[in-house]
Amino acid sequence: MMRRLIAYICLGLVGLPLAAHAFDRQALQERLEQTPALQGHFTQTRWLADVDTTLESQGHFAYVRDEKVVWQLETPVEDTLVLTPADATEATPPNDARRAGREQIAALLLQLLGGDWSALESRFTQTLEGDADDWRIRLTPRDPALAERIGEIRLSGGRYIEHLEMRLAGGDRLRVDFSNQAPLTPEEIDALPDATTR
Amino acid sequence: MSLLPTTSRVPRYLAWAWLIAHLVCLVALGWLLRDGLPADTRLTAMLPEDRQAPLVERASAKLGTSFEDRFVLLVHADDLSSATPALADALTEANGATPLLDALIWRDTDLLDKDPRAALDAYRYRLLTPEIRQAIDANGGMSLVAPALKALFSPVASPDPVRDPFGLLDAWLEERTASRVTPRDGRLGVDIDGQRFDLLIGELAASPYAPDAQQRLTTALADFKAAHPEATLLRSGLIFHAAVGAEQAKHEISTIGLGALLGLIAVLLVVFRSPRVLLALLLPLASGLLMALTLTLALFGSLHLLTLAFGASLIGIAIDYALHLQSHRAIAGRAFQLRALLPGLTLGLVSSLVAYLAQTLTPLPGLRQMAIFAALGLLGAWLSVVLWLPRLRLPVSPATARLATRWERLTRAPWRLTPGWVGVAVVILVTICIWRLHSDDSLRLLSSSPAALLEQERIVQRHLGNDTGTHYLLVRGDDEAALLSRLDALHAPLERLQRQGVISGHVDLADSVPPPSRQNANLERVKRLYQAPLETLFTRAGLPETLAERARARLDASPVLDVATWLDTPLGEAQRRLWLGKTDNGGVAATVVLQGVEDGAGEAPLRALAESTPGVTYIDRIERLSGLLGELRTHIAEWLALGLILLSTALTLRYRRRTWRVLLPPLGATLIVLTSFAVAGIPLNVFSQLGLLLVLGIGLDAGIFNAEHPRQAAAWLAISLSTLTSLLAFGLLAFSATPALHYLGLTCLIGLAAVWGLVYLLRSGPRGDAG
Repeated sequence: MMRRLIAYICLGLVGLPLAAHAFDRQALQERLEQTPALQGHFTQTRWLADVDTTLESQGHFAYVRDEKVVWQLETPVEDTLVLTPADATEATPPNDARRAGREQIAALLLQLLGGDWSALESRFTQTLEGDADDWRIRLTPRDPALAERIGEIRLSGGRYIEHLEMRLAGGDRLRVDFSNQAPLTPEEIDALPDATTR
Repeated sequence: MSLLPTTSRVPRYLAWAWLIAHLVCLVALGWLLRDGLPADTRLTAMLPEDRQAPLVERASAKLGTSFEDRFVLLVHADDLSSATPALADALTEANGATPLLDALIWRDTDLLDKDPRAALDAYRYRLLTPEIRQAIDANGGMSLVAPALKALFSPVASPDPVRDPFGLLDAWLEERTASRVTPRDGRLGVDIDGQRFDLLIGELAASPYAPDAQQRLTTALADFKAAHPEATLLRSGLIFHAAVGAEQAKHEISTIGLGALLGLIAVLLVVFRSPRVLLALLLPLASGLLMALTLTLALFGSLHLLTLAFGASLIGIAIDYALHLQSHRAIAGRAFQLRALLPGLTLGLVSSLVAYLAQTLTPLPGLRQMAIFAALGLLGAWLSVVLWLPRLRLPVSPATARLATRWERLTRAPWRLTPGWVGVAVVILVTICIWRLHSDDSLRLLSSSPAALLEQERIVQRHLGNDTGTHYLLVRGDDEAALLSRLDALHAPLERLQRQGVISGHVDLADSVPPPSRQNANLERVKRLYQAPLETLFTRAGLPETLAERARARLDASPVLDVATWLDTPLGEAQRRLWLGKTDNGGVAATVVLQGVEDGAGEAPLRALAESTPGVTYIDRIERLSGLLGELRTHIAEWLALGLILLSTALTLRYRRRTWRVLLPPLGATLIVLTSFAVAGIPLNVFSQLGLLLVLGIGLDAGIFNAEHPRQAAAWLAISLSTLTSLLAFGLLAFSATPALHYLGLTCLIGLAAVWGLVYLLRSGPRGDAG
């Protein structure tokens, strides 16, 4: 459950191109609706405290509003993860827990991108700082049980999200840096994979 | 109206002694009840020891708890994101001063504390899914490297290269927690026919039978429904059924019960014209109850609830004695002599005592208790009638005598009953009974839950994969390992039955706690997996060799998972109901819950499986309880028949050729009730049979008094009053919607009317004493 929660939070927020004016979450949502699709490069760094080890991976991501998030891992192993809102409505076999996890992620994405903040708001206090070109947002779990597992989520960026960092139980940290981000053309959107091949 | 002191031959000191006996009883009862009523609600406690099967009893009780101690709500609305929190708030607010709920689970975060990972940490290398087992057996586990590598770098996973680089525990847990319940928007829910239903699980702090808890839950849900009329609510849990039953009982007490009470008071006031007489008539009943309660508790230590309910009803027969005495006194006036009435009163008491006390010879402790309770109550009431009532200065209205005479004249039968006609009628009725009468002791027949609630229950249980633990296999083993092996061996045949559609699923402990031999084999597999495949994984991920060594070292410290440890984990808690632990003969036992079993036809393959497997018994809880009720009913009938035979022999000594006239009201009425049931196709059950006990008792009294005081207006008035008041008290229950009360009432309604009718026909008998 925790794994999924962490995953959908970061995947969801990747797709948020943040607005450059009147900085509140309402502005963020309005800005969001103006950017239909986005792609870029990511570097994911996972710091495992108790084994004193870093796991680093790189790849490309693509995000299409209301449609999907594609997480394409290139090094050290190739893997493609596609999350679509269809997962949320498709009848899923009841005993496939992994599909159920994706369903949850897809549902949360829809909500984030549709501007329904209430679900996140009910579980995280959110603090927004800075201006449109250099902003930081901090999410802190409200529920003590959840706070035991996620210390804090920090996002920062300018035109788009540039850094995401999550502090986890036991001192573990997950950091994702985004670069070379640019809007997607309709042709590029059509070329994205739509099969779920996790 | 005049106040008549009545003379009595009974010495005054006996009345005083009887009063002192009451005081002693009151003190003793107070002491016995110092910790509340020691009541026993187990139906099986009524049965002989060797039939109680304590293990089955324990298994059934344990399996039922998840249905009893919690409830499940599924809610659907257009705007679930506001409706569900509103419902959760309503339920939380219902907590009030004393808590209603221990916990309410509806958000995904409510489940965070249920994460079983930490508890199972060291055991994970002994718990493998079939897929992983096959992968290791096939190629040493090389095919597991690629997915493990992806998981190490996936943003979705939480990799742990030392503890579990291959994600063995996650795979195992995912298989175990496979459920239709999914989180969405932070709330838990299921999809039913394309509609999203949010899920709320309440863990009750109070008993599901506590009226206060039922009331607060019902109110909270009603308020929610009023605020969200468009929302659909599906309910599951014993508390909802209990609440409906309680609501129905309350409604009936205020209609049927109040009606009966008012009717009773009105009848007695019309006849005796005095509230004091009314109270005096009820005094013997109160003293009978006091005696019965105190002495039975002192004798048995605890009281079965059925004893209390049935026994108290039977003591109601004692109103006969008071009615006869008061009717005679009202009519005889100053000439009243207790002595004239004593033979009838005594015979009435003795006949009832013989009929009921025959049951004390039964091997059934519950029946013995009930019989002793009723007998003590009747004796106590009788003593109060004889020792006290004649001494009480009660107002006597001349209206009573006038009424009795007029009633006697009005109700002279047009023709007389002769033994010949009675014989013919008996043969015909008995034939009908033999031909058509049947019995049905099914508990399902007695369920008073409305169909809509049962349907909701069914939907919720089907979609959540819950069960009420009704059908199960009881499995025994010499020790834990043997038991787990036996459970494990059941998997193959049960899965075959599932493919055949006999069951929809099964829950057992060996699925989570494999037998030690299997756990050891799994650990050997993981040791192989941790050779070349682990090295490949770590090399490709760029992880140092030292980490691989640390990972391998953990395998040596992996203990065998035992049942006790498993049951202490957050996941295992839900399976505590399956574990019975030590049995009396030194072994251990557990249950396998079977889901989706169709009653009747669907059970044969399960019985066959149990019979062909040593140490395995198939049990249908409801059917078993129904069987016990049937057994109870048969025993009551048999021993009652024996009592009646004894009684008839005894009565023949006094009445000789007139004996049939004494026995016709009780036995004839019983036969008429049975025939009516046979003709109407109503099956006999334990509750209708209790009604027959009442009919027999009142019928016997009526028959005896009719024979002792033939053609006396007072006796006929008392008999009429006795049948009428009992009819009001018990017969009106025929209109109850609670099945148990309905059957009791219906029997009394027909039976008591028949008693009156038979005495009416017998009254005008021949002038002489000849039969």
